[in-house]
Amino acid sequence: MKSDNHIKVNALLNGIKEPVLLIDPQAQIILKANKPARMVFGNDETEKLAGQSLQTLYDGTIFSFTESIIINGARNGRKIKLDFRLSTLKINDQEVVLAIGREIEKQQTLKEKLNLLKQEKAVQEMKANFISMTSHEFRTPLTAISSSVDLLETKLKMDELMNAFYQHNITKISTELFNLTNMLDEILTLSKIVSDNYAVIKSEVNAEEVVNYLREQYFSERKDGRTLQVKSTGTPRDIYVDKNQLSKILTNLISNAFKFSTKGDPSIKLNYQEKKLVVKVCDTGIGIPAKDLPNLFSSFYRASNADNIEGTGLGLVIVKTFVECNNGTISVDSEKDKGTTFTLGFKYRH
Amino acid sequence: MTHTILLIEDNLGISENMKSLLELHEYDVLTANNGEEGANIARQQRPDLVISDIYMPEVNGYELLEMFSEHEEMRDIPVIMLSAHHEMDDVSLAMSKGAAGYVTKPFMFKNLHATIKRVLNARH
Repeated sequence: MKSDNHIKVNALLNGIKEPVLLIDPQAQIILKANKPARMVFGNDETEKLAGQSLQTLYDGTIFSFTESIIINGARNGRKIKLDFRLSTLKINDQEVVLAIGREIEKQQTLKEKLNLLKQEKAVQEMKANFISMTSHEFRTPLTAISSSVDLLETKLKMDELMNAFYQHNITKISTELFNLTNMLDEILTLSKIVSDNYAVIKSEVNAEEVVNYLREQYFSERKDGRTLQVKSTGTPRDIYVDKNQLSKILTNLISNAFKFSTKGDPSIKLNYQEKKLVVKVCDTGIGIPAKDLPNLFSSFYRASNADNIEGTGLGLVIVKTFVECNNGTISVDSEKDKGTTFTLGFKYRH
Repeated sequence: MTHTILLIEDNLGISENMKSLLELHEYDVLTANNGEEGANIARQQRPDLVISDIYMPEVNGYELLEMFSEHEEMRDIPVIMLSAHHEMDDVSLAMSKGAAGYVTKPFMFKNLHATIKRVLNARH
C-alpha cells in the first residue's frame, strides 16, 4: 500500500511542469523533488534532493500554514527566483507540505509585456490624435489659401483682367488644394483603421439625406458644370450603419465617378428592396481594365489606366473596410472606356 | 436689396478674405472674432444671415446656435456653420441644433455662395 502511494506521488509530481517539492514540515527535510525542481536547483540526479535538509535551499523555516516562500535557483545558467506556493497534504497519515514553484521573473516579464502593450497602445492613440489634430489644423491655412485664390479669381474677373494663363494656373492651384485636402482625409482615416482606433457606431440612417448633403457639399457648382444625378426607387427606409463611415464610402465612390469620367453626369441610384437598400454609383468614364479588377481593393494599387489621374490608391481600401464594418456588400462592374458601376448593399435594422 | 451677413471667424486671414469675397458679391458684411461678440452684434444689428466657425474661443459655434434658438430676437436669423470638422456627426449635431447649412473648410466660394443663396431664398 505504502509503495503504491509512493509510485502515485512520484507520478503526480513528475506530471507537473513547474518545480515541485514535498517537504516534511516537522523535520524541515525535502522528501521528494520532481525533475523541474531538480533542474532549477542544479541537481538532476534522481532523488538526490530527497532527504536533504530544506536549509540547503532555503534560509528559513517553513510551517504547514505558510502561504509561500521565495527560493533562488537557476535555469539555463541564468539565476532565477522562484515563488513556492505551499499547501498541506496528508500522505499515509503524515502531514507534508507540497510546494509548487513559479519563476518570479517570468511573471514580471508578463507584467512588463503588459506595460509595454499599454505604452504601445497609448502611443498609437497619441499618433491617431496627433494625425487627427494635424489634419484639422492643416485645414485652416488651406482655407486661407483657397479663399485667397477665390478672391484673386473673382477680382480678376470683375476687373476684366482674367485671361487663359491666369485661369489655367488658378484652376491648377484650387484643384491641387482640394487634392491635398482629400489626401489628408484619406491618411487620417487610414491611420485610424491601421491603429484600430475607430469605433463603428451604428444608428438608423437616412441614406438619401446623406447623399443630398454630400451632393450640396462636394459635388455641386463644379467648374465643368456636371452634377450628381440622384434617383431613388422603392419605399425609403433607414439603414442601420455608422453615418460617418457611410458618408466616407459614398464620398469616395462619387469622387471616383467624377474623377474617372469627363463627360456625362455620374449618378447614384438608391433602390429600397424588401430586405436591403441597394446603392449603385455609376459613371460613363474610362472604366477599369479586367486585369486590374482583382486588385482593386488593395492598398496603393492603382488601375493601369489611372496613371494620369490624381489619387493615393487608398480610397477603395477605406471603402471596402467600412463596407465590411457595416455588414454591407460591395461589387464592381466595369468595362474599359464604357464606365464603372459600384454596387453596395446595406441591410435595414429589422 | 443688399443682404447683411455677419461673419464670425477667429482666424484673421480667413475672415479678411471672406469679407472681401462677400463684399465683391455685394453683401454688407459685419465681422466678429468669437461667438460672444458675434451674438452681441447679431442681437443689436439683426443681420439677414450669420456664417460662423464652430471651434472658437469663448462661445463656440454649437453654443452660439443654442443662444440663437433661446433668444426670440435672434431665433429667425439663419446660421450657416463653416468648419474644419467634416465628419457627418459634426454636421448632424449642428443641424440638430438649428443650423441652416454646413460648409466644410477648405471651401470653394462657389459652394458657400450656393448655400448662402439657398438659405436666404428659403427665408423670404
